[in-house]
Amino acid sequence: MWIWNLLSLTFVQLRRHPVRSMLTLLGVIAGMFLFVTIEIMQNSLRRSTEISAEDATLVVYRQNRFCPFASRLPQSYEQKIAKIPGVREVYPIQIVVNNCSTSLDVVTFRGIPKNKMDSFQKNFTLLSGSIDSWKQRSDAALVGRILAERRRIKVGDKLDAAGITVSVAGIIESDNLQNLNVGYLHLDYLQQASRVGLGIVTQFNVLVDRPEQMESIAHAIDDTFRYDQDPTSTRPEKAFIAQAIEEVALLIQSGRHVGWAALITVFALVSNTILLSIRGRVREYAVLQTLGYENIHLLWMVVLEGMMLGMLGGLVGLLGSASLVYFGHFTLSADALSVVFTVEPKTLAIGLVTSLLLGFLAGLVPTWCVTHQNIVDNLRAE
Amino acid sequence: MKSQSSPIIISCRNLTKSYYKGDTVVTPLENLDLDLEKGRFLALMGPSGSGKTTLLNIIAGIDSPTSGSITINNQEISRMSRSQLTRWRGKSIGYIFQLYHLIPVLTAYENVELPLLIQKISRSEREKRVLNVLELVGLEDRMSHFPRQLSGGQEQRVAIARALVTDPMILVADEPTGDLDAASAQNILSLLRQLGHDLHKTIVMVTHDVKAASYADLTLHLEKGKLIESSPL
Repeated sequence: MWIWNLLSLTFVQLRRHPVRSMLTLLGVIAGMFLFVTIEIMQNSLRRSTEISAEDATLVVYRQNRFCPFASRLPQSYEQKIAKIPGVREVYPIQIVVNNCSTSLDVVTFRGIPKNKMDSFQKNFTLLSGSIDSWKQRSDAALVGRILAERRRIKVGDKLDAAGITVSVAGIIESDNLQNLNVGYLHLDYLQQASRVGLGIVTQFNVLVDRPEQMESIAHAIDDTFRYDQDPTSTRPEKAFIAQAIEEVALLIQSGRHVGWAALITVFALVSNTILLSIRGRVREYAVLQTLGYENIHLLWMVVLEGMMLGMLGGLVGLLGSASLVYFGHFTLSADALSVVFTVEPKTLAIGLVTSLLLGFLAGLVPTWCVTHQNIVDNLRAE
Repeated sequence: MKSQSSPIIISCRNLTKSYYKGDTVVTPLENLDLDLEKGRFLALMGPSGSGKTTLLNIIAGIDSPTSGSITINNQEISRMSRSQLTRWRGKSIGYIFQLYHLIPVLTAYENVELPLLIQKISRSEREKRVLNVLELVGLEDRMSHFPRQLSGGQEQRVAIARALVTDPMILVADEPTGDLDAASAQNILSLLRQLGHDLHKTIVMVTHDVKAASYADLTLHLEKGKLIESSPL
């Protein structure tokens, strides 16, 4: 029960030192904003590139080509790949992108055959529009949620990118983050509109029966076309993404150090505030000890102060960061593949727990100091 | 200092306190014996460095003797650990400081409430007790004021209310009027004497002022850590 009383007392003390509390809070907010933003970027990268046991999609690309403009494969490979044992489905895909380099606003069009859409739509859920209207219009597009929000488009609108104009037939949501930043078009329409020509695709997405067969099937596909005019390079989809966005990934991963630096800054700031506050209140703590406050009471008073500053600052910082990412609809793309930044509750929870923990730790050492000093000496302190 | 009617509440035997100051051993108290009956108002007098504040702090349990024993209400507090002593102090002692030592960002009410926040009592009981002691010291209409909004005498009244709120058996006061003007000092001393009488509290007060000491039932004079004179008034 006393802990609630001390919590209330600590809150009153913070409220009645508004300048000190606000300045510390501002520092914590800035630090936690930075830390959580970087955590969101790291997690989004992880979700885009980490291979899980359930992944069963291979990407067949033109060997020694790394950009969708350069990868050209005959669409006729589809039949040969489909015959390889263990292959469940083959999707020939043409990719057109409005910007092949690293960019924050890349629009990627993916063309898939109209007759494959019924099986392909298992990869996403429709938020609005319909598959039928996509099938009925040759220039129709199913647009990923993030792309739609970033470009502020809805069903029935026109989307113009990379010199191609499409009509939005549906908005899609997907666990596969790549699907959130693309527009799915009819393959033949995209081939013609992009002047690539019919019969040529950028890649094949190959769905296998069992994930453990991925490696052997990849070898089998590459062996099949080894001596063809257009040899292939086949990898699991996530590995393919990881390689394609390697430089983007390096950029994001290097941000981890900035995140840690932000955490250290928050820790140092809260510690310093508490330390200065305690130094200024040595006599106050001695008075409380005289009144019967035990070490545990003083420990909680100081620690609660740190935790409140950490929690309040952390909460505002992470809400700011989450809002920025959520409403900013940021994606970082390279070679037509994107890291789509999405906010996960887990990341926010980690941010909040981290800020609470930092506040807790920041109060420990100063409390130990104050509780192990002589009361009589501290009562005489200026 | 003994009478047939009241039991002894504070008993010191061969109480010695010494500490090092640089290479020199300082002995503010040396083999001091003292018995004080329950409900009495004792004034400790003496020149600076005579050991009166050290004795007061040992009685209050915020300092400990180097040797000898001190027994308060049949409990030998000189044998208690630091944490036992803190718990005992919270229940048994009300400390009144010369400079009041109120927490500046808390109101008079909140300052008086402080010792109760760590006790197992309900919010309503806490409120009842705080209002009761604020009324006793005549500050019920100043309870929402911050220390900076009170006069010195009023601040000391708040400090007295804070010392009383846990209903301790002993009040200790370290020069409670040392920072007050004559009129305020007289008010505070009258209040202390009246509270001691009405609430049957034992009071130990350190003072330099003979006039202040005249409010006590008895006065002890200390010099160089030794009791040199006692004078019942």
